[in-house]
Amino acid sequence: MKIKWTLRTLCLSLLLATALPTTVGAKTPNDQLIVGMNMNNLLSLDPAAMTGNDAVSIIVNLYDSLVELDPTNLSNVLPGAAKSWEISEDGKLITFHLQEGAKFHSGNPLTAEDFAWSMKRLLNLNMAQATTWKSYGFTADNVEKMIRATDPLTIEIELPKPTDPKLVIYSLATLGSGSILDRATVMQHEKNGDWGNGWLTTNEAGSGPFKLDVWQAKDVLRMSRNDDYWRDDAKVKRVIFRHMTESQALRLMIEKGDIDIATGMSVPDINALKSDPQIVIDDVSKGTIYYVAMSLKEPHFANPKVREAVRSLIDYDGINKTIMPGYGLYHQRPIQKGMSATLPDPGYKLDVARAKTLLAEAGYPDGFTTTLRVLADPPFINIATSVQSTLAQAGINAKIMSGTGNQVYGAMRDRQFDMLVGRGGGGVDPHPHSSLRSIAYNPDNSDAAKLTNFQGWRTSFYDQQLNELIDQALVEKDQEKQKQMYIEVQNRYDALYPAILPISQMVDSVVVRKDIIDYIPHPSSTTHLRSVYKQR
Amino acid sequence: MNFSDWLQPNGLLRRLTKRLLQVVVTLFGLLILTFIIGRVMPIDPVLAIVGQDADQSTYQQVYQQLGLDKPLWTQFFIYLGSLVHGDLGNALLTGRPVVDDIIRVFPATIELATMAIIVGAGLGVPLGVMAAARRGKLADYIVRFISLAGYSTPIFWVGMMGLLVFYAWLNLVGGAGRVDMAYDGLVDNRTGLLLIDSALAGEWEVFRSALNHLVLPATILGFHSLAYISRMTRSFMLAQLSQEYIITARVKGLSEFRVLWSHAFRNILVQLLTVVALAYGSLLEGAVLIETVFSWPGFGSYLTGSLLLGDMNAVMGCVLLVGLIFVTLNLISDMLYQFFDPRTNA
Repeated sequence: MKIKWTLRTLCLSLLLATALPTTVGAKTPNDQLIVGMNMNNLLSLDPAAMTGNDAVSIIVNLYDSLVELDPTNLSNVLPGAAKSWEISEDGKLITFHLQEGAKFHSGNPLTAEDFAWSMKRLLNLNMAQATTWKSYGFTADNVEKMIRATDPLTIEIELPKPTDPKLVIYSLATLGSGSILDRATVMQHEKNGDWGNGWLTTNEAGSGPFKLDVWQAKDVLRMSRNDDYWRDDAKVKRVIFRHMTESQALRLMIEKGDIDIATGMSVPDINALKSDPQIVIDDVSKGTIYYVAMSLKEPHFANPKVREAVRSLIDYDGINKTIMPGYGLYHQRPIQKGMSATLPDPGYKLDVARAKTLLAEAGYPDGFTTTLRVLADPPFINIATSVQSTLAQAGINAKIMSGTGNQVYGAMRDRQFDMLVGRGGGGVDPHPHSSLRSIAYNPDNSDAAKLTNFQGWRTSFYDQQLNELIDQALVEKDQEKQKQMYIEVQNRYDALYPAILPISQMVDSVVVRKDIIDYIPHPSSTTHLRSVYKQR
Repeated sequence: MNFSDWLQPNGLLRRLTKRLLQVVVTLFGLLILTFIIGRVMPIDPVLAIVGQDADQSTYQQVYQQLGLDKPLWTQFFIYLGSLVHGDLGNALLTGRPVVDDIIRVFPATIELATMAIIVGAGLGVPLGVMAAARRGKLADYIVRFISLAGYSTPIFWVGMMGLLVFYAWLNLVGGAGRVDMAYDGLVDNRTGLLLIDSALAGEWEVFRSALNHLVLPATILGFHSLAYISRMTRSFMLAQLSQEYIITARVKGLSEFRVLWSHAFRNILVQLLTVVALAYGSLLEGAVLIETVFSWPGFGSYLTGSLLLGDMNAVMGCVLLVGLIFVTLNLISDMLYQFFDPRTNA
């Protein structure tokens, strides 16, 4: 009897459990490209308000920009919506000539006026992307005068202050903020003088090879081919970006062919995929630099001898060999690798004895206690742990304070930190100024200046001569002379015992299925998907 | 019963009003607490919006737009003011009204939680009954072991292992997400419940794919609530089985099956209902970890995303909803108790 009811109960349970179906997951269709990525940082698709590389990688496929950068040779500028351009003799005026017949997704023609208006909007909104343009001297007040359409197909950009016009062209190609917006469509959606910002957060008004179907934050973004594109039509019909935060889930799905491309995967998972013949891993060198920073507001670090001691208390070799593979490449200069002006590494290395001598000379023979702020994620926290242990060898007791981006960089922006392990620096504009502006330049060291976008200011590191050198190099027209000046900048930076000590230059890995053809990940994240297809 | 009875000190209307008042006070307390915690959290939503390289004028502009320059209490009263009008504010994460966001993400969680509770209660109740009936025997130990395992294994780990075994190795179920990605967006969003929407549209491929993706996370989640439900069922049943009426029934020669299911089980139904309702409530609250592992675009993912960003409007909206769900479920189960068992009418 007992057996009978036990059986009945079990049968009931099994029935429920097996009432669930089983089938096999499908491979991605040939005409669709499926990308798995972490969309946590994707907050807005408005080219003027977006932040971060993830947004740029999407924006450049929805919008056209005047020019593009060749992903295989970064100093090679390619035509975009502008078919040609020229720089005036005095370097103060850049004139762009637009392609004929380009149209927005709405059907409106793309005109020079649209570009001029897009830049005016950018500076008037004054959101995240305005920062770089403001550093070139453009303001909400002067933009209308300085960036103008002389006829429907001609744009003139007059530089408000002396700068290298090449740098401005690179910024147009790499930032995504130079996207050309369909003025008429955007203004239809304007609310309370927001220049259409609310609407553009989740919509687009571009002319790019893809149109946005839908974007749901932290879920999915779908775009489909623009069959009316002025260039050749994109090769795939749909692109789906799927929000995935778990690296291991990403790994399983790309192994099985349920996604085609994965970005932001963790280094251990990428390493595990290296032996899979169906998968290619593209290492993309980025412009940003991993560094150890000190605040000169902290009395110990205001002393150059202490900074020099700290420079001798970092195990550059060990960190780059054991922690950085997959994250970064050995680098000790404030200008990114691969540029003709970049000097070879100065060869700093861990030298505890020398550091102890320096500390004794500085008046701290027994060291001192300080704090070291760092993000809680790898590789930052691992670098910090290494730095903490080598500092301790000379008596500097650094207490690690790990936290979120806000806690780490927020404190840095407020100039309230002692030491910090971080990442920053230039974009990928192939120009030495790009990194120097971010890391070494500090035109006004007062607290009131609040130059929070300059990491040099955040550390209170100031050298007038260095600033002048950077300023002069930027406007030097003779290429060879300019190169020599950048070499001089690096030597001076070196001699000053700077507040920011570069350790490694960032690399980013993209995992791609082998049958995806012509996907060339761009160092500036401006990866164009229009020519990507599948070969099966 | 006529209307005047309802107004008696213990009348239905009085009790209902009293309970509703409690609900409002509870939710108000919850709001104040969340608001204060949100404001002292070391997260700066402005920095998340403007990015770390933005200059100070941009930072300041967004700071003011968000109203963060106003005193804390002013901010709270502004929030309350709009809440009264049914406006939960806009989410930073999506730039859209929080209400719209919640309406969009909640169905994904409802689908997951409903399937999970079907698995959890569908297996947990019979197993609990069986364990009680065979107390101290092998079957009891097995059930208790399953229950302990369900309780103590980290759901995150089980999720990953589940994906590895059932998705990657055995190819039995779909991977992360609600549906195979190529089917994304092919079905019109009517109810937000993908199974129902795809069935309504007659897209059976999508339906199958959606079901395929639902099985694993729902089973794992269900396994977790199964542990709780089977333990509770077991102890409720044990209490009943020692009662005299059971002995009488057995003496009368009723089959064990009828003794268990028709007599004892009927008497624990109301208690069980509370247990299952609360389990369902906590599933709805967002099976945060499972949604993360399976990239499930539901309420849990939304809430964690908002928290990490310091997006207080969204967080408050979510907290309010979770509070509402729990309070309502509690209310309903209390009412049911009173309906089935008038002795609790005090």
